[in-house]
Amino acid sequence: MGGLWVTRWARMAFCGWPWNHPGNPTRAAERVESCLRSGRSGTRGAERELRRLGTWRRPSLAVQPPRRPKSTNPFTRAQEEDWRRRNKTVLTYVAAAAVGMLGASYAAVPLYRLYCQTTGLGGSAVAGHASDQIENMVPVKDRIIKVTFNADVHASLQWNFRPQQTEIYVVPGETALAFYKAKNPTDKPVIGISTYNVVPFEAGQYFNKIQCFCFEEQRLNPQEEVDMPVFFYIDPEFAEDPRMVNVDLITLSYTFFEAKEGHKLPVPGYN
Amino acid sequence: MSTAMNFGSKSFQPRPPDKGSFPLDHFGECKGFKERFLKCLRDNHFENASCRNESKEYLECRMERQLMAPEPLEKLGFGDLIDGKSETKSEP
Repeated sequence: MGGLWVTRWARMAFCGWPWNHPGNPTRAAERVESCLRSGRSGTRGAERELRRLGTWRRPSLAVQPPRRPKSTNPFTRAQEEDWRRRNKTVLTYVAAAAVGMLGASYAAVPLYRLYCQTTGLGGSAVAGHASDQIENMVPVKDRIIKVTFNADVHASLQWNFRPQQTEIYVVPGETALAFYKAKNPTDKPVIGISTYNVVPFEAGQYFNKIQCFCFEEQRLNPQEEVDMPVFFYIDPEFAEDPRMVNVDLITLSYTFFEAKEGHKLPVPGYN
Repeated sequence: MSTAMNFGSKSFQPRPPDKGSFPLDHFGECKGFKERFLKCLRDNHFENASCRNESKEYLECRMERQLMAPEPLEKLGFGDLIDGKSETKSEP
């Protein structure tokens, strides 16, 4: 709006000034009046004046007149109206689809959780670690893998924790048993909880434990020593994975931590 | 639980065991079986294939003494051992 005011004043000043000859006072007044009148004649007048001045700029959308069809031919006008209507419906559909996609992406989280609960897949995309798989497993006898064992203890836990065999030679598809030993040399019962790690980690996805002693609290009484077995197997598909061709050594490493009373450790798995 | 700081590659995801955790053998009831198994391993250069009978016996001991949920041996991968015990002894 400020722009229009400026131009109006400028128009007045401009209109009045060059023709303000002392000899023709009435003519100058006429001219100023005509200028002013043209200024008040609406946007079209302003447009004409500004075009003369060379500072014409398209007015804002608010003052734009309703859109008229570009052609004046009555036949093509109907077609244009039709196109315009069709464009509007297409635009509406596209906008609705975009909003629908956004809503679907938000809804996917609880829906996926529902799906996991009903089908029981529980976070792992592979549903094949069932016990009937073990039953029908065929050992791949020509692929011998050495499994070494490592035992670690967190600094605050005073147990003596070590494996009872340094290594074991297994083949994929064969179930194997291994032992760790833990001793509590203190005079107080201590509760420990352990986790494990498999190196190389790509082979870890083929390392399946049927039963072990990890992720659950294990309580050792004072001066008690127990054997802790690990019952595991290596998936027979290990032999068919091209990335595992050079893998001959797998290291299973267990680490024990002290479990404090009331402290719940996050257990892997889908809750 | 890998401590290496590789942010690009996937980290190791420990998985819970299929059948859960072994209860602790506080009274050493199956210790004899375990010793036999370990001795077998040491004698056979730590080859698991030679000592599957002993491991089967250890697990059977556990199942008898309520230290392990009873499971048919086929489901534990010992199907071939049940059919012919004499056959496995001749295997290399």
